[in-house]
Amino acid sequence: MNNSYIDEPMLEAYVYETSQIIETLEQLMIQSEKVGNFSADAINEIFRFMHTIKGSSAMMMFNEISTLAHKIEDIFYVIRENQGVKYDFSTLVDCILESVDYYKIELIKIRNGETPDGDTASLTDKVNDYLEMLKEDNGLKKTKKEKETKSEKDQKYYIRPSKKEDPAKYYKAKIMFKKDCEMENIRAYTVIHNIVDLVEEVLYKPSDIIDNDQSIDDIRANGFLMAIRSTSSEEDIRKYLEKTVFLESLDFGEAEEDWYKEFEVIYQDQEIHDDIKIPETSKKYIENQKVKKEKEDIKQEVTATTTQSIISVNVDKLDMLMDMVGELVIAEAMVSQNPEVVRLEIESFEKASRQLHKISSELQDMVMAIRMVALSTTFMKMHRIVRDMTRKLSKDVVLDVYGEETEVDKNIIEKIADPLMHIIRNAIDHGIEDGEDRVAKGKSKQGSIILEAKNSGSDVLIIIKDDGKGLDKQKIYEKAYNQGLIYQSIEDLNDKDIYRLILHPGFSMKEQVTEFSGRGVGMDVVAKNIESIGGSVIVDSVLGKGTTIILKIPLTLAIIEGMNIKVGESRFTIPIVSVKESFRPGSREIIRDPDGREMIMVRGLCYPIVKLYEYYGLRTDVKDYENGILIMVEEDDRSCCLLADELLGQQQVVVKSLPNYIKRYKQVKGLGGCTLLGDGSISLILDVGEFELSNVLDK
Amino acid sequence: MRLMIVDDASFMRVAIRRMIETKEYEVVCEAEDGQQAIEKFQKYRPDIITMDITMPNLSGIEALKEIKKLSSTVKVIMVSAMGQEALIREAVMHGANSFIVKPFKEDKLIEVLESLKS
Repeated sequence: MNNSYIDEPMLEAYVYETSQIIETLEQLMIQSEKVGNFSADAINEIFRFMHTIKGSSAMMMFNEISTLAHKIEDIFYVIRENQGVKYDFSTLVDCILESVDYYKIELIKIRNGETPDGDTASLTDKVNDYLEMLKEDNGLKKTKKEKETKSEKDQKYYIRPSKKEDPAKYYKAKIMFKKDCEMENIRAYTVIHNIVDLVEEVLYKPSDIIDNDQSIDDIRANGFLMAIRSTSSEEDIRKYLEKTVFLESLDFGEAEEDWYKEFEVIYQDQEIHDDIKIPETSKKYIENQKVKKEKEDIKQEVTATTTQSIISVNVDKLDMLMDMVGELVIAEAMVSQNPEVVRLEIESFEKASRQLHKISSELQDMVMAIRMVALSTTFMKMHRIVRDMTRKLSKDVVLDVYGEETEVDKNIIEKIADPLMHIIRNAIDHGIEDGEDRVAKGKSKQGSIILEAKNSGSDVLIIIKDDGKGLDKQKIYEKAYNQGLIYQSIEDLNDKDIYRLILHPGFSMKEQVTEFSGRGVGMDVVAKNIESIGGSVIVDSVLGKGTTIILKIPLTLAIIEGMNIKVGESRFTIPIVSVKESFRPGSREIIRDPDGREMIMVRGLCYPIVKLYEYYGLRTDVKDYENGILIMVEEDDRSCCLLADELLGQQQVVVKSLPNYIKRYKQVKGLGGCTLLGDGSISLILDVGEFELSNVLDK
Repeated sequence: MRLMIVDDASFMRVAIRRMIETKEYEVVCEAEDGQQAIEKFQKYRPDIITMDITMPNLSGIEALKEIKKLSSTVKVIMVSAMGQEALIREAVMHGANSFIVKPFKEDKLIEVLESLKS
């Protein structure tokens, strides 16, 4: 960035706004494509979008981006201004979507501080060809681009001398504009337009500043010449002329009447040469602005872009705010639960700390609410995926979206776009059959994918359901068995266990590799991404009927309700959503299997036991079941019981990820992060999913 | 000098604001379309307005006409892009005091503003 005036906030504003426009534009394309044409509103909107991108990008010196936008703007200008114009709708949509893709890539470069250097030549050519074709097909070849001003040729800005003698004097002036001031002809026009109060008559050269854009070159080379007849004082006129914007130099002085007459002749000659037909009578300048007919009704329907009082905030700042609120919650607990103060039992302190708690939890809710973003943008992107894929694979698939207004934390939303895209690609590529196959199977020719989001407690469920061929249990099992991923026999596994295998790293059906899916990056990446944000993936399928994949995603990552437990001197926190119950067992319910693993029977079901002190090698006095406590935890219908010394209580905790150096040093299983407790001690958050859970419920 | 920035592109509003604030100009309000511009003009009475032309709801030129009816002293600078010659001409006829063509830099904008001081 070689321009000192472009700074970080401007760049940010640019990237933010342009991305938004591109996204809206893309959605608009997909929507329009469904209908099969552009509505008048859409045309207007696209025109404005491209106009904005053109202007902003030019300001940022991203010329390629600006030029491309300008071309598309031109196309929509033609379409907007010429009612009933015929145009090739689908090619235009393709062109614009291609441009959208180009913009996306360039924006990523810009965001990363690189120069947007994508080659637009072929794309610009394509758009240009389209524009030319459009004009040609509709006989608009000669239409001037900005034709809305009904060229007011009869408005020549000069005044004829009145017949009788007057004490007017003659002046000549030559204005040179500064370089790069642009549109010199209009600048000259401005000078003439505003000078009329001051003068009786003014002639100027070049005279065709209004109609002829070539006059710019003339003005640049030779300056803008004026012959003025005026009764005003020389000083006044000079002052006026000196105030001209972007004035490089002004040559001004009194002139002879003869010179003026001469100029007049030249002026008239020139006009004849220029072949501008102006009736002699109308040459008399009368500024008649009232004649201007009122513009068409300006009452336009308010488009989708309703203005709201919304400000955009850097996500980093929100993250920081969230962090600080987290610290505040901890600090609040540290104060209000301070053992020494609590012992004093001061009523006023209790009251004050309750008040503090109320405010801090409200604050916390508010911060969470600020970070919540609707899933609609992410879902809308899927329409594009479906569109592109169905075209490439010539399948007929329709995507229905429900619950896109469901809100999820900003950080989470970023993490689910890719997995979602992958699942949908898989569904179209491998799930949904070709048209004929479908008909043969008695299904409708058009495949269907349903994308749905809904709230479920502190989770959001995203459900992707297709009506394709479904998963073949037997095949999956065989593949997994051959790949050495499982050793049980198929009878020992239930459906969900088998379907879960497709999430296993290294598992691949890899029968056919297409452009879109089946290239190694498989469902395991999806599972990993979802798990990294504390979610889980559930796969269900009916062979021949279709597959349903459910992504279970937490509303937020930052603060969870946790159960604090103690093992020896160590503290652990179990997310309360994972805790089913806790109880103190007698040793009689304990069962040992031949390998010495311990299990417990609860209500006729058998649960494996994990002794935390043993698991983490901690020193504690509580090793038996009589004194300790068992906490039954569950994830995805799989459970186990954890043995701890005692429960410390339930509390909201702020999740902090484990420092990287610890992760690098040693991979500790079963840890999801850490947190600070009210007394300032550190507690490790257990990730229940990583323990050896067993599928008790189905057995 | 009290300024109002009228532009439907938030980027342009940020850009113009950053170019002129810190100088002797104070941006008193911003508007996102012509309709808002008229409303905010009545409320804040700025001395100078930078006015984008292509905007939703009400174009810059229509807003200019209305605002010029409301005040004869307010100075309006049209912010335009290449290819909008005809529109600027129309704006000048309706009383626009000056104009500036995108892309422009700080110095140009300041120069236009300076020229409007009387």
